[in-house]
Amino acid sequence: MSKVYFSTWNGEFINNINTPAEEWKESAYNLPAQYDSHRESKAFIGWDGVALFDKDVDVIRLAMEYAAQYQEYSEACGRCAPGRWGGRILYDQLDKIARGEGSRADLDHLREIGKSMQITSKCEIGKTVPNPIIDLMTHFEDVFLECINEQKPSKHYNESVSYIAKITSPCSDACPSHVDIPAYIEGVRDLRMDDSLMATRQTMPLAHVCGRVCPHPCEDACRRTNLDEPISIMALKRLGADWETDHGYDFFHPMEKKADCGKKVAIIGAGPAGLTTAYYLAAEGVATDVYEELPVLGGEVAVGVPEYRMPIAKYNKDIECVRDMGVNFIVNRKVNADDMRKFEQDYDAVMVATGTRISKKVYCDNERADIKGYWSAIEMLDQINLWDKYGIGERVDLTGKTVVCVGGGFTSMDVVRCAIRANAKKVYMIYRRDEKTIIKNTTYEEYHEAVEEGVEFLFHSAVARMNDEENVLKSLLVDKFELVPDPNGGRAELVKIEGASYTIETDFLIPAVSQSADLKLLPEEWEIEKTSWATIKTNGKDYMTSRKGIFASGDCEYGPMTIVNAVGQAKRAASVMARYVLTGEVTLTDDEIMEDHLRKLRVYDKKEKVTGWLPGVARAHSEVLGVDERKYNNREVNLGFTQEEAMSEAERCMRCYYIAMVQA
Amino acid sequence: MNKLINFKIDGISVEAQKGETILSVARKAGIYIPTMCYISKTSPCASCRMCVVEAEGVEGFVLSCNTPPTEGIEISTNTPALQNERTNIMKLYDVNHPLECGVCDKSGECDLQNKTLEFNVERQSFSARDQLRPTQNWGLINYEPSLCIMCEKCVHVCNEVIGDDAIEVKFGGYSSTIIPKNSETLDCTFCGECIAVCPVGALISSGFKYRANAWELSRVPSTCAHCSAGCPLEYETRHSSINGENEIYRVKNNFEFASLCGAGRFGFDFDNKAQGNESAFNRAIEAIKGAKAIRFSSMITNEEAHILQLLKEKLGIKLFNEDARVFGEFMKSYSSVSGKVHHSGSLDAIKQSDAVIIIGGRIATDNPGVRYALTTASKHNGAKIVYAHPMEDTLMQSVTTQMMKYEVGTEEGVLALLAHVILSEADLSDSERAFFDELDFGYLYAETNIGEEELSHMMNSFSRAKKRTLIIGNDLIAHERASNIAKLAALIEKYSDFSLVVVPREVNTLGVSLINTLEHDENIPDVVGYNAKGDFVISSLEGADLAVAALNQQEGTFVSIDNRVLPTNVALSFHGYTLNDIAKAFGIDKKNTIDYTQELNKKAGFKTVAFDDLENFLSPFGDDNRGYLLDEVACKADGELEELEDMPEFNGTIVYHCDPVLQFNNYTFKAEQLPRENFLLGSAQFGVAARISDGDNVEISFGATKIQRTFKLDSELKGTIALNPTFDISVDASRYRFEKSKIVRVV
Repeated sequence: MSKVYFSTWNGEFINNINTPAEEWKESAYNLPAQYDSHRESKAFIGWDGVALFDKDVDVIRLAMEYAAQYQEYSEACGRCAPGRWGGRILYDQLDKIARGEGSRADLDHLREIGKSMQITSKCEIGKTVPNPIIDLMTHFEDVFLECINEQKPSKHYNESVSYIAKITSPCSDACPSHVDIPAYIEGVRDLRMDDSLMATRQTMPLAHVCGRVCPHPCEDACRRTNLDEPISIMALKRLGADWETDHGYDFFHPMEKKADCGKKVAIIGAGPAGLTTAYYLAAEGVATDVYEELPVLGGEVAVGVPEYRMPIAKYNKDIECVRDMGVNFIVNRKVNADDMRKFEQDYDAVMVATGTRISKKVYCDNERADIKGYWSAIEMLDQINLWDKYGIGERVDLTGKTVVCVGGGFTSMDVVRCAIRANAKKVYMIYRRDEKTIIKNTTYEEYHEAVEEGVEFLFHSAVARMNDEENVLKSLLVDKFELVPDPNGGRAELVKIEGASYTIETDFLIPAVSQSADLKLLPEEWEIEKTSWATIKTNGKDYMTSRKGIFASGDCEYGPMTIVNAVGQAKRAASVMARYVLTGEVTLTDDEIMEDHLRKLRVYDKKEKVTGWLPGVARAHSEVLGVDERKYNNREVNLGFTQEEAMSEAERCMRCYYIAMVQA
Repeated sequence: MNKLINFKIDGISVEAQKGETILSVARKAGIYIPTMCYISKTSPCASCRMCVVEAEGVEGFVLSCNTPPTEGIEISTNTPALQNERTNIMKLYDVNHPLECGVCDKSGECDLQNKTLEFNVERQSFSARDQLRPTQNWGLINYEPSLCIMCEKCVHVCNEVIGDDAIEVKFGGYSSTIIPKNSETLDCTFCGECIAVCPVGALISSGFKYRANAWELSRVPSTCAHCSAGCPLEYETRHSSINGENEIYRVKNNFEFASLCGAGRFGFDFDNKAQGNESAFNRAIEAIKGAKAIRFSSMITNEEAHILQLLKEKLGIKLFNEDARVFGEFMKSYSSVSGKVHHSGSLDAIKQSDAVIIIGGRIATDNPGVRYALTTASKHNGAKIVYAHPMEDTLMQSVTTQMMKYEVGTEEGVLALLAHVILSEADLSDSERAFFDELDFGYLYAETNIGEEELSHMMNSFSRAKKRTLIIGNDLIAHERASNIAKLAALIEKYSDFSLVVVPREVNTLGVSLINTLEHDENIPDVVGYNAKGDFVISSLEGADLAVAALNQQEGTFVSIDNRVLPTNVALSFHGYTLNDIAKAFGIDKKNTIDYTQELNKKAGFKTVAFDDLENFLSPFGDDNRGYLLDEVACKADGELEELEDMPEFNGTIVYHCDPVLQFNNYTFKAEQLPRENFLLGSAQFGVAARISDGDNVEISFGATKIQRTFKLDSELKGTIALNPTFDISVDASRYRFEKSKIVRVV
């Protein structure tokens, strides 16, 4: 929260005009008062209002420059009559006033055209651009009139002033990869799948993957929720990728690969973070060598996520798209500390993207890895996926066996559903909390599909002890818990119910509680800083570790998290690294700085009232294979939208683009 | 499941089906909502914002073109507030729109003009700085950006209906413009649909530019005479000078629902300017008296075909038309299994399909109507489309989801394999089942080059499909094994949910095949040619012994690929004699050619409808009210599948008869605006095999034919098959389209 001279942001009204600076009130919002380490912001103007941090701001020029940005940011506009001409008229009229040639009638025209844009524009950008401009005209009318009456230019009209603008939207703000979601949905709506796919690939090379297995945090920030239900954002991403694959096109890259800049980067790990780093660095003309320990590419999405959720043929297309950018892959190559020391010499920078591939323990009595039947989730999924997808190793056959998985997240869901497909006799999932929480941690679909397939969920339970006979697992002692509300209104607590413990006979216990990072590849003498949960520490903005030139992204940096999170980190890191290898400096672009500011401010406002859209148009749901059709095979469960479903879903998107601009 | 949604528009109770929008329901109910960018055959452009409406209890205005109604909602389409905003939008559209209506091609039929008047925009309250926007000359099409209102109709049509995807919006707010996609200049099939849909004078025909005003032209509704798609069009005519003859100035089409290719749109001037004189007429009568046969083309009306049939019967002469004969025989074999005369499918069925197999034709150029239907199916239904052919076609890539590349000449085997997988669970008769059981799959996979995996991939990709269509292209009609191929196609249609479309080669191949009793063309002496070669030639083409009217100079009907009998009309008059005049000389006595329309062969499904009772329009909702559909006719189904023959081998240099885009026949060849590129097109590999290089003059020999062409390398082609155009020559339509050929360089 920062002190402001004037603010109309999101309905607040703070007016410190004629008030001494030390008595200025604070805004209730996380406005970007400090632009970056060496620049203060003087003003912030956006879809929801305007905030001035400095008395000296030229409000007429600010309004004019904001209108100019609307002209500038053509990627999002020029698609409707009110926006196309209205935006230009706004700019021309404001410029006329600012250069000292305006008339009072121009103010009326501005108001009239502004109102038309607010009512009839195609997307939110056209509807919201007039908002702060009209705010300024209303609250600084005297300033406008002075210029008009005296026919003089506005106070800084002829000076060089720095304005930095960015287009955003609630969904892309919430997406860790900041995918231009309205653009790829527009591609689907316009039946221009190439445009849709290229919009996705601007910041997300794994379109097949994130069109299928993303937990879609964007949908929690979808403004359509304020009206009825969120857009099925994730499922619409798949359309472009499937179209490219179905039609056998060459890869549609959103950018031209730049000429070789003579620099090279080593990337450790060919999972989502590694692939993403490689793709965007290669596009910048940096030579990229990706080292992968496993015989196959793709990381956990390849060997962790099962075939029925993420068909490898489709993932391989994403990987081939990355390769097509000119990336060099080296498989079966585990990188150790000696390699790292050498890489530091041989390469201009190194990206560590090794994920978290050690399954954490359940922490029960007699938990020993040498008991036969104790099988970590990572190892189990490795074996299943390597066989199912690549024919490597041997088939997992659980016929006649009982399997108990301890977990509650996506990995544990994969474990139990794979166990069903491996023909297990009985599959249990043990989870400390309740059904609601497991759905929150995964998805509604994932949980219900597992239940349909016959997985038995034991809630409010935890394994207390492994019982073995001669090192062969026989049974588990399971404790029951209950949720006891805190009488003081605090968080409810799980309390063990004495005497309710019971025993389950089982052949396997598969811990899928969480995973940790294996960081033995980092030379000890580098003393790379770690987080308190034993992952690599960075500042979360440029992703450089405490050692210069060594970067980290994905799960080994963040801890076990989503694919889209890894991609988002790696995309940013690739941008930073592309500059770093050339200049030796670690910098962010203005666009990235603004991205972080807006993320802090939060673009999505769940209380906002949506107007101009008919509520009650239902969200489309794609067809899912029936339980009998899917239970004992690896067919993709979710069939994706039909074209008709996709188009009607895309029509629901409200194109909530916004422009934010800082004067710094 | 398909529940109707009940709601109200302006107090009137209406109902919507799933997928309908407020605007489409309003239009059906006859309620007017103004639009500038809406076009029925594409997804909504949603750029003009004119179609906003108010919904009871909803704050703000709702866009009606892309919003489906919800149960019980009450919509108002015409409040003062809405009118005010719509007027403001019109004011914006008029900002800096050049006042050149006096010379603009669109003037008089311009949506911007019309709506400016409708909303009474008399003065400009808004202004913006004007910008320099030079005219773009793209060949047959010109683009005037300063007139463009950025409605995006052209872009949508080009991508979603035509499939060229050749233009796109260059985003840029006020300076947004339409540009060629991935190219400096427009690189497309020049269908001109973008011109048709342009609501203003931004996209125009360069050939028509500044030549006439809309209000001076007379419209003659007709049917395109270039291929069997039977596209509706209007010839627009006017006198060409003071006291001058009428001339066709341009062709327009009902772009709201129908589409037209460039040959239809720009290739309209194929009228016969020669005149028939009495002495030539008398010689023609003598020639027919002494003739043993009349040879004719399928570029004639049903009525002409009927007269020829009457002449045959009266004079006891033979009729030769190899194109219609092989087609008729194909359909006869088809009928022997299906038990009915007509194929079940249509262009509409293709449009609605979500799974299509197209085999044996270079369909994008053979029949653009089929291509556009495939594009619609692909874009709007996400159809899985299997394109089975020995050669790739770049025009098909955007719709094809699976290229099934088979060896030349092995079509019978490919059909057998397709029928086998499609009918694997069908309730076949014992003998039909035995046919499949006896197939030697190893041999078929090896010879056709179609693998089991490809077939199962196809079946997988079709697994969610609800409407399927099999399209039989022209390669299969004049095939050595056509008869068995037709039976296999019939079997698929009979025992599966596939509908079937057999593509006729010429505009009226289908009609002729239903009307005439044709005999094998034996190349005997004393043959009179009717629009075809002969010892005495009666023709609407140049060099005839007796000139007759071309298809845009006469009344009559065609039968299209849809089995629809479509009327064609007189756009330009012809001075001379008609076939009917000749018939009269032989005592076949009806006053006018069109008096025969109601007498066409009933056994083939023609109805007793007089020509003047035939309608020729699309309803405001796109229903086809042109002519009539042939009645379905049942027949005996006593055909048996034959055992497969050994597959032939085609080695060496092969030519494939195939016309370039915008060319179909000797009539399009005449058209002034259409390019006449008659190169032999081949890949570098073909050049090596034939020992010729780009630009060489070559002599191509196949069968008994020798022709000379210039060889041109085409980087989009692969393999050792070259494309040989036929629009400037005539080829024997009874021969398979792939020919083993000898090619020598001519110095």
